[in-house]
Amino acid sequence: MSAATATPLAIPGQPLGSTSKYQPGPGTHIHQSTLYSSLLGVVHIVQPAKAPGPVKRLNKIAPASAPAELPTISVSRSGVSEKREVLPEVGNTVLCRVVRITPRQAVVAILICGDTVLDAEWQGIIRVQDVRATEKDRVKIYESFRPGDIVRAEVISLGDQANYYLSTARNELGVIMATSEAGNTMFPVSWKEYQDPETGAVEPRKVAKPY
Amino acid sequence: MAKFGPKRQGPRSDIPAKLGRTHRQEHLNLTTTHNGHHRPPPRPPRRPYPPSLIPTHPKHPLRLGPGLRHVPPSSILPTVAGQLIVNPHKTSMWIESNGGRYTPSPSDLVIGRVLRSAADLYYVSLSPYTPPASLPHLAFESATKKTRPQLAPGALVYARVSLANRHMDPELECVSPSTGKADGLGPLTGGMVFDVSPGFARRLLLARSRDEGGVEVLELLGAEGVAFETAVGRNGRVWVGSESVKAVVVVGRALKETDEGRLGGEEQRRLVKRLVREMR
Repeated sequence: MSAATATPLAIPGQPLGSTSKYQPGPGTHIHQSTLYSSLLGVVHIVQPAKAPGPVKRLNKIAPASAPAELPTISVSRSGVSEKREVLPEVGNTVLCRVVRITPRQAVVAILICGDTVLDAEWQGIIRVQDVRATEKDRVKIYESFRPGDIVRAEVISLGDQANYYLSTARNELGVIMATSEAGNTMFPVSWKEYQDPETGAVEPRKVAKPY
Repeated sequence: MAKFGPKRQGPRSDIPAKLGRTHRQEHLNLTTTHNGHHRPPPRPPRRPYPPSLIPTHPKHPLRLGPGLRHVPPSSILPTVAGQLIVNPHKTSMWIESNGGRYTPSPSDLVIGRVLRSAADLYYVSLSPYTPPASLPHLAFESATKKTRPQLAPGALVYARVSLANRHMDPELECVSPSTGKADGLGPLTGGMVFDVSPGFARRLLLARSRDEGGVEVLELLGAEGVAFETAVGRNGRVWVGSESVKAVVVVGRALKETDEGRLGGEEQRRLVKRLVREMR
């Protein structure tokens, strides 16, 4: 159990306390046994987890004071403690929306990484050879994705300055939500088709296997 | 491509003269053409057609052609301006419109102009101010890396649209995908290309363009002894080739005046007579 308390602002270089009283956290640094703030922000003091109860074995020699007993002091810019920016990493499963299709690749905007909704949309590319695991040379992008589809994909490379590289070459990856040409949300009927319930029209997609 | 030459062809007397005007944009009441299509009067936009106009058949479902949209459960709405044509024999209906702009659709025959050559495809322009279509280097009959046709920028090519949808640039091919044969597709050498409206090009491409499309100029010119060949592109371009330059010019003028003047059968005959007289 831990409790966070907010104290007034700290400026870079401001001494916060001694290393015998606090543990250093993000946004702080140590100089000659004193903790100094590195950032301009709000100071947070987090109490450590409750120390374990007395050990049953009385003849065990334990260290005098465990280091985890000291509270951790940290300084953060935005005022909310511990908010780090989430970036897609290789191997993450992401949800993205198809922006544009060309005969060789589909350009997507990555919206959700794992369970976190991203602040900014990152651009990704699904190349035609990464759409499926089998018959990679006979893939037609127009029969796998359309602009506006929501796709579950896996990051295979951080790519270059402009794009992540994504892949849908597994059964559980692919289009999870699609809209028909008539404007209605469609339902999957097989691994390669979605159907519009109102008009009955069937459209080809690379369908993700539902869990 | 169609070859015309001096062959004997008498005038057809069984077709009444007024059918030469089938595609005029004049105000028509319900008339029936000889092959059973009938034309309802024009209607204001965004109102579905009354059920009396929609053909029904106990076994065959209704087929909608270009320009119509089905809004469930039972309304049919027009999406472009044009004349509604109903064919009760095939229970189909569509809109004939001549908008001046060509929208590519799969398996259309088109005449394109090569813009430039990229890694392994040519960029071919089908119509001005639109993204170019792509034509792979090897999409010609019996083409390998060493024996493919080399097309310079500005060259004309007769191709078929293999992929066209509103999300991607169109793609062409000069070879039939199933048989591997060209069937008249490929580069067009010599001759000259003339621009016509896409609706006129569609009438020229009909199997019986004289009866259904009302275009007789090409057959009449052939009957007068002018030797030429044509290739019609659905995107509003007609290529005319001949040994004599005068023939090319005469055919081009005949096509353009028929299209722009919206000439009917009798007027086309007079035009052909006048042009042949000027040529000789």
